[in-house]
Amino acid sequence: MDKPVKIRVENLTFSYHQTPVFENVNLAFEAHAITAITGPSGRGKSTFLTVLNRLWESQPFAEMQGKVWILLDGQWVDIYGKTLSKPDLRRKVGMVFQTPNPLPMSIWKNMAFPLKLTGISDKSLIEEKISAALRQAFLWDEVKDRLHDSAFGLSGGQQQRLCIARALVSQPEILLLDEPTSSLDAGAASVIEDLLVRLKERCTLIVVSHYLDQVSRIADTALKLQARGFLQT
Amino acid sequence: MTRVFQKTARIVFFLSAAASAMAAALVFGFLLVFGFPLIGGGEFFSLLTRPWSPGQGLYGFLPMITGTAAISFLSIVFALPLSLGTVCFMGGLGPARISRLVDGFVRFMTGIPTVIYGFLGIFLLVPVVRTLFTSAGSGMCILSASLMLSLLVSPTMIIFFKDGFDSVDVRYIQAADALGADSVQRLIYVILPEAWPGIVTGIIMGLGRAMGDTLIALMIAGNAVHVPGSILDSARTLTSHIALVSASDYDSLAFKSIFACGLTLYVLNAFAVIAVRRLGGKRGPV
Ligand SMILES: Nc1ncnc2c1ncn2[C@@H]1O[C@H](COP(=O)(O)OP(=O)(O)OP(=O)(O)O)[C@@H](O)[C@H]1O
Ligand SMILES: [Mg+2]
Repeated sequence: MDKPVKIRVENLTFSYHQTPVFENVNLAFEAHAITAITGPSGRGKSTFLTVLNRLWESQPFAEMQGKVWILLDGQWVDIYGKTLSKPDLRRKVGMVFQTPNPLPMSIWKNMAFPLKLTGISDKSLIEEKISAALRQAFLWDEVKDRLHDSAFGLSGGQQQRLCIARALVSQPEILLLDEPTSSLDAGAASVIEDLLVRLKERCTLIVVSHYLDQVSRIADTALKLQARGFLQT
Repeated sequence: MTRVFQKTARIVFFLSAAASAMAAALVFGFLLVFGFPLIGGGEFFSLLTRPWSPGQGLYGFLPMITGTAAISFLSIVFALPLSLGTVCFMGGLGPARISRLVDGFVRFMTGIPTVIYGFLGIFLLVPVVRTLFTSAGSGMCILSASLMLSLLVSPTMIIFFKDGFDSVDVRYIQAADALGADSVQRLIYVILPEAWPGIVTGIIMGLGRAMGDTLIALMIAGNAVHVPGSILDSARTLTSHIALVSASDYDSLAFKSIFACGLTLYVLNAFAVIAVRRLGGKRGPV
């Protein structure tokens, strides 16, 4: 029962255009575990992930009340408070989208992008971080000879792993994944499942998934989204 | 049925494309034919390099070419940072509500007739320039005209720039945001490079408007027919020259020369477009 907690959501209420998506949700997410979120389409799974990295804020007509706390270096930090800037939060809480979204540049530049944002300019450090993240995402062998080709030349599964690797470059403590295998065949999906299980060691993972068999394979906890709230299963 | 429809549509669109291409070619031909008396004896190039002095039989447009080039170039130099700044503000640096207001205002500005700008120039800008720079004489000079002209072309440029900004795939923007880009980084690393073709087009349209505009230069550039030596000198553009000379008598050689003048403007404009396209390249600098 007493597992360490990484994220706490308190009294979360969220709406688009005054239509509530969540009402008074309270949740805790276990550290170094995979929490799966399931539920019917359109219930707010993707929206919930964006609450954890504040990405919803760019949507017009979205409103939120409540608090989200994450544990950083032994301290509970209110992510909507003043102590943590949005860019800093997003480096701690990485996100992988429902459809792969590489930037229109080379594989290398995609990987270097998060490092460029933080102003890291040490070439050998950049190289080291990029190859480490690509290896972690099981992509290194497939791309090591074509790092300067466009990222759009990769297959769907490779693009998805590139996006995971790109999110890993800044060594996030939490990784949000929105249906990371929905566009992949079984083989490619199982590569990503293995990857997620291994990542538990470094990160706390929250994975949206439609596939119940996948959930039972990889998840430590599963949450089902009901109308306006969650149910533990 | 749909096949027939598709065929007709294709023909109609082809015809309208052909018509506009024809119109451009016809204007060119028309200028060539009517300018012939002056162009004919291999004199076109000497027209480009000579001064304008009808009393001595000299009908060169060198002063007007420099006037047009200086005023339109300078107006883009002023308008570019202004327009780009406005679009960046609307594209995420500024608050959404104010951005919408600015957007509405810019659209409203495109509808203001040029003569209003000219008028404002005479009553507001020219006196200021006159007091600030003693060497500007009356204040009617290249600087005044290009400042006013930059206000005229900015809305056009802003609208094209904004189209470029709006065409950037939101997925790229989301990706950058989720990776921790702040609003300036998002702009510099993602939006500007993607919006680059729109920016180049905007500059071309702005330049076209600046070169083609007649009234502002006519009203506040001073219209002197000598090659300007500084931006505080009075100058005459090709367009105001055409406007001024066409008021004179129909049979004079001066009148005939304005067809060559139009032709010069046409060619100058084409060169400017090609130059900007060349410099702009296909993609952004980043
Ligand atoms: N930007 C937005 N503006 C307004 N309404 C939105 C917006 N994004 C999502 N919604 C609405 O909020 C609800 C939840 O959407 P969300 O994308 O979070 O669902 P989801 O559970 O991820 O669905 P799926 O399984 O299909 O991905 C939906 O009804 C959707 O129409
Ligand atoms: Mg979704």
